[in-house]
Amino acid sequence: MLWNLLALRQIGQRTISTASRRHFKNKVPEKQKLFQEDDEIPLYLKGGVADALLYRATMILTVGGTAYAIYELAVASFPKKQE
Amino acid sequence: MTHQSHAYHMVKPSPWPLTGALSALLMTSGLAMWFHFHSTTLLMLGLLTNTLTMYQWWRDVTRESTYQGHHTPPVQKGLRYGMILFITSEVFFFAGFFWAFYHSSLAPTPQLGGHWPPTGITPLNPLEVPLLNTSVLLASGVSITWAHHSLMENNRNQMIQALLITILLGLYFTLLQASEYFESPFTISDGIYGSTFFVATGFHGLHVIIGSTFLTICFIRQLMFHFTSKHHFGFEAAAWYWHFVDVVWLFLYVSIYWWGS
Repeated sequence: MLWNLLALRQIGQRTISTASRRHFKNKVPEKQKLFQEDDEIPLYLKGGVADALLYRATMILTVGGTAYAIYELAVASFPKKQE
Repeated sequence: MTHQSHAYHMVKPSPWPLTGALSALLMTSGLAMWFHFHSTTLLMLGLLTNTLTMYQWWRDVTRESTYQGHHTPPVQKGLRYGMILFITSEVFFFAGFFWAFYHSSLAPTPQLGGHWPPTGITPLNPLEVPLLNTSVLLASGVSITWAHHSLMENNRNQMIQALLITILLGLYFTLLQASEYFESPFTISDGIYGSTFFVATGFHGLHVIIGSTFLTICFIRQLMFHFTSKHHFGFEAAAWYWHFVDVVWLFLYVSIYWWGS
């Protein structure tokens, strides 16, 4: 529970929002609740659907890109013979 | 549900070290493809996946700290050591380029004409744009200190203003330096003078861009109420990095621009 208590302590010290003319509301407490939910979802996916999309895109691009790099390496390793 | 009985942060498994490593492979093999086969596909893919990795990895660090509270005082201490060690490694990185510059400029070879700057090189006037650049970075060092004190004194609006000024000064430096590069009478291929000048100032410029990016992230986080007056290590790390960038410039200015002309 230690880190839970420490996170809560930070809320007390956070600047109270006086954001009157500008639009920024302090959404940190909501985020803290969201990311501390005991639902076993890994951190990198815990933010919602956008997390999953970004994760999938990154994985596809890196793994796919690696396969492409190995392909290019294979092509470069066997140069075309000059006629 | 079990809980830890210590104050340290046992990080959960993450895919970003893997994607980061793969993006490094794509960037390096991409460079080879560009240099030898005139194709930029792999390189672009590498840069994109590298950016995606950095974004998600550091987003997760913010989640672990600001949202989950894992950055206890001992954890923060470790992060401080880490940032200091990283900046120290960067100091050694730049030391190499300064070594190269002094090696060639302290004992100029007969091929260069036996003097420095070498024959045929018209160096930039250190009292023109380079001096302006010096004042811009020094001023940004003042404004970032103002931002820090405002943050510690819970002065939200002043902190935002001062940090914005710092970022704008950084951008101004970058634009000025870019224009200097464009207008310069000598290029990177103009012998050892060109090589040492553009490699040293070029890497410095890259670090200014990195530092400006780090500061911009801090700016966004400040707008989102992430920092408290007592706990804002991300900002401190950015400030340390920024001061380091400033100090490197001072060495560049004195050694290459001033003494080297």
